[in-house]
Amino acid sequence: MSEQNKSEQKSVQEKLTDLSELVGWFQGASFKLEDALDKFKQAESLAEAIEKDLTKLKNDIKVVKKRFDSEE
Amino acid sequence: MDDVLLSVSDFVALTNQTLEYAYPVVQIEGEVAEYKVIQNKWVSFKLKDEGAIVSTFASLFQIRTPLQDGMKVVIVASPRLNNKGFFTLNLKSVRLVGEGSIKKGFELLKAKLEKEGLFAPERKRPLPQVPQHVAVIASTESAGYADFVKIINERWGGMTVDVAHTQVQGVPAPDQMIRAIRYFNGLEELPEVLVIIRGGGSAEDLSTFNDEPLVRAIAESRIPTLVGVGHEIDHTLADMVSDVRAATPTNAAQILVPDRQEIIRSARAQANSVGHLLTQAIETYSRQTKENLAAAFQRTQQKLDDTFERLGILRVAIAQLNPENVLKRGYALLRGEQKSGATLEIETAQHIITTEVQDVRTK
Repeated sequence: MSEQNKSEQKSVQEKLTDLSELVGWFQGASFKLEDALDKFKQAESLAEAIEKDLTKLKNDIKVVKKRFDSEE
Repeated sequence: MDDVLLSVSDFVALTNQTLEYAYPVVQIEGEVAEYKVIQNKWVSFKLKDEGAIVSTFASLFQIRTPLQDGMKVVIVASPRLNNKGFFTLNLKSVRLVGEGSIKKGFELLKAKLEKEGLFAPERKRPLPQVPQHVAVIASTESAGYADFVKIINERWGGMTVDVAHTQVQGVPAPDQMIRAIRYFNGLEELPEVLVIIRGGGSAEDLSTFNDEPLVRAIAESRIPTLVGVGHEIDHTLADMVSDVRAATPTNAAQILVPDRQEIIRSARAQANSVGHLLTQAIETYSRQTKENLAAAFQRTQQKLDDTFERLGILRVAIAQLNPENVLKRGYALLRGEQKSGATLEIETAQHIITTEVQDVRTK
C-alpha cells in the first residue's frame, strides 16, 4: 500500500494528530532545514485532507426499534 | 338489589367489583397528611382537601419522590373497600404538584443523594473528545431533540447515533427512560456517551428528572452520561448526578462534539504556522550564514593585517641590515688580504677604490 493510500485511509483524528506532530517537529530539536520543505508540503496536504473529510462526513442517526413504554 | 341478601364479605367484594368497573383508576389532587412508613415496606397517608379526607396505601417502592405532610400531590390510585370496612386508595403513582412541594421534594431528595455521595466530583467521568458511537434518550417529537440533531449535524459528522424515543414528561416518563438507560447499558458494544435531553418546560414537567429511580439509573450507568434538561436556569437531580451537565439540549450537542469549522480553521492555522516556521527557519539560516561569512571575512582580514604589520617590521629590520645603508652613513667596505703588498679594494657609497697594503700591525 502506498504512503498516499495509507494517509487517505487515516481517520480525521489521526490526521489531526499527524498535523500536530508535524508542527511539533518544526518546533523541536529534530528540525532539519533539508527536510523542512517536504514536511511543510505534508502539513498543507493534511490540512486540506482534514477540511475535505470534515466537510463530507455525515452522522448516521437511527431511532432504535425497541419500545420503552412497557417491560418486555 | 333490595331483595338479595348478601354476606358482609360478598358486600365488600361486590362493592369492589362496582368500584373496579366504575373507577378502575382515579387521579386525585390533594394534600398529604399523617404520612407513615410501616416496617420499611409500606406507606400510608391521608389525602385531604378543605372538605374531605381519604386513606391511601402503597408499597414503599411506589413512592419515587420524598413525601412529607403538607405537600401537594396528584395520585393515581384504585379505590378499594378493605375487609375491615375502611375505604382506601391503593396507590399506583404519586407526583408532587405546586412550586412549593416540588421544590421541597427536590431539596429532600437532593440532600439524601448528596449524603450518599452521588454528586461527588470524583464520580464524574470525562466524555470522549470525539465520540464515534452515541446513545440518545429523548422524545423524537420534541423541539429540544430537533435542536440537538441540528447542532450535532452542523458541528460534526461520521458518528453513529442511536436514539431511544421515550416520553420525557408525565408519569410513564421516568420508567421509560430507565428502560432505555438499561437497554443501552446492556448492549454488547457500549456507546461511548449516553445523552439524555429534554427542552424547557414547567417545574412540574421537569420534575420527571427528579425521580429517584431515574436519578439512580443515571448514576449507575456504565456509559458516561451527558444530561441537558430544560433551560440554563433549570436544575434537576438528573443533571446533577450526570457525568457532565449541559444547560440545554443545544448545549449538550455543543459539549458532545467539536465544531468542524473550528477544527478546519485550526488545521489551516497549523499548516500556516508550519509555513511561517519554515520561512523563519530559512531567514535564521540565511542570517546565520551571512553572520558566519562576515565573521570569516573579518578573521581573514585580521590575519592579513597582522601579517602585513609583521612584514613591515621585518622590512625595517632588513633595511637596517642592508650594507648600502651602512656605506651611506660614511663607512667603507674593504676586500682583500691584510698583508703588505697585497691589493685591497675599498668600496664607499660613491666609489670603489683599489689600493695597496703598505704595512700591517697588530693592535
